[in-house]
Amino acid sequence: MPETLTRILGYASDEDKAEQLHHLQHCSAVDQIVLPREDTQRHRLRVHSQTNREYLIALPRDQHLSDGAVLVLESDRAVVVKMAEEQWLRLLPGSLADAVELGYFAGNLHWRVKFHGAELHVALEGPESSYLNRLQPFLDAKRVQCLHG
Amino acid sequence: MALSPARIGIGGPVGSGKTALIERLIPVFESRNLELAIVTNDLVTREDARRIQRSGLIDPNRVLAVETGACPHTAIREDPTLNIQTADQLVLAYPGIAAVIIESGGDNLASTFSLDLVDYWLFVIDAADGDDIPRKKGPGVVRSDLLIINKTDLAPYVGADLDRMVREGTAVRDGKPVLLTNCATGEGIEAVMDQLVHDVLFA
Ligand SMILES: Nc1nc2c(ncn2[C@@H]2O[C@H](COP(=O)(O)OP(=O)(O)OP(=O)(O)O)[C@@H](O)[C@H]2O)c(=O)[nH]1
Ligand SMILES: [Mg+2]
Repeated sequence: MPETLTRILGYASDEDKAEQLHHLQHCSAVDQIVLPREDTQRHRLRVHSQTNREYLIALPRDQHLSDGAVLVLESDRAVVVKMAEEQWLRLLPGSLADAVELGYFAGNLHWRVKFHGAELHVALEGPESSYLNRLQPFLDAKRVQCLHG
Repeated sequence: MALSPARIGIGGPVGSGKTALIERLIPVFESRNLELAIVTNDLVTREDARRIQRSGLIDPNRVLAVETGACPHTAIREDPTLNIQTADQLVLAYPGIAAVIIESGGDNLASTFSLDLVDYWLFVIDAADGDDIPRKKGPGVVRSDLLIINKTDLAPYVGADLDRMVREGTAVRDGKPVLLTNCATGEGIEAVMDQLVHDVLFA
């Protein structure tokens, strides 16, 4: 049975934790669990760390996983959560009318978005191709451009 | 140390067998010495809660109903407050339980659960509703943690190809689990329980 982690002890940015973690890092004794943003909302998870160790996470409801959450901190080892970098799809509507329609469309699909000037950024919570498939009519008609890089 | 109870969602289209699955799971939880509480969601009635309460399978006090009033998906996704409070209430009353199961009101293939509300969720589809459902990539089919294809006994009557449903379901889900059940007989339920134990109950 893998080790069960049942509490967030603090965050890597906490002063006392930072010092201890820094020391452990030097001995390569900090194991990281990299999680997509969505998974950090869960209170229960079966995960593999970067050293390929398996852990069960089972937290009380009032604790929430986030970047830097420390789950184990002992004299000779630590386990810390790292949130995976988020991927965004950058979309540029051609006209005001296209923008209105794209906004309505994205809302209808419950996509998580942020606004960046004239661009609409959509958080990729699944494969990019499934988002592009949905957008195909917009892209084909050149009403929306998908920006890269 | 006892873990704080897991929260497990069960969603899926109207009549796919969500309540039937819960009725099948209750005795399996019991046989594994795991206690359970249940929240049901219905549009404007408490029909499903009453049905489980009267089933004689579980202490009726462990079953509470949420009346969603409008679109059932809003109560499990956009604003799950009512469901969270109801689950909290059950955990307070029965701190020793292993899980609270939350059945969403029957909805369409797009319904998904907020991970504020549940740690893990199942999506139940009906094999007789068409064997092209998995490859149509509805968000419930794609994003759920466990996809259940229920009513396998009815597949022959509608010419549904179960192997293909499982194959295509697994493909659109990036390999996340897909299981077959027949809630009329209980076939496949132990495998569902094993998956829950592995993925979220940790018991
Ligand atoms: N033949 C067969 N019938 C089933 C099976 N599972 C459920 N049913 C029947 O299908 C009908 C609907 O089942 P429910 O469990 O009420 O479905 P539900 O998803 O909870 O429905 P809503 O809550 O109304 O959305 C009932 O008549 C069940 O007896 C199955 O595996 N095989
Ligand atoms: Mg039901």
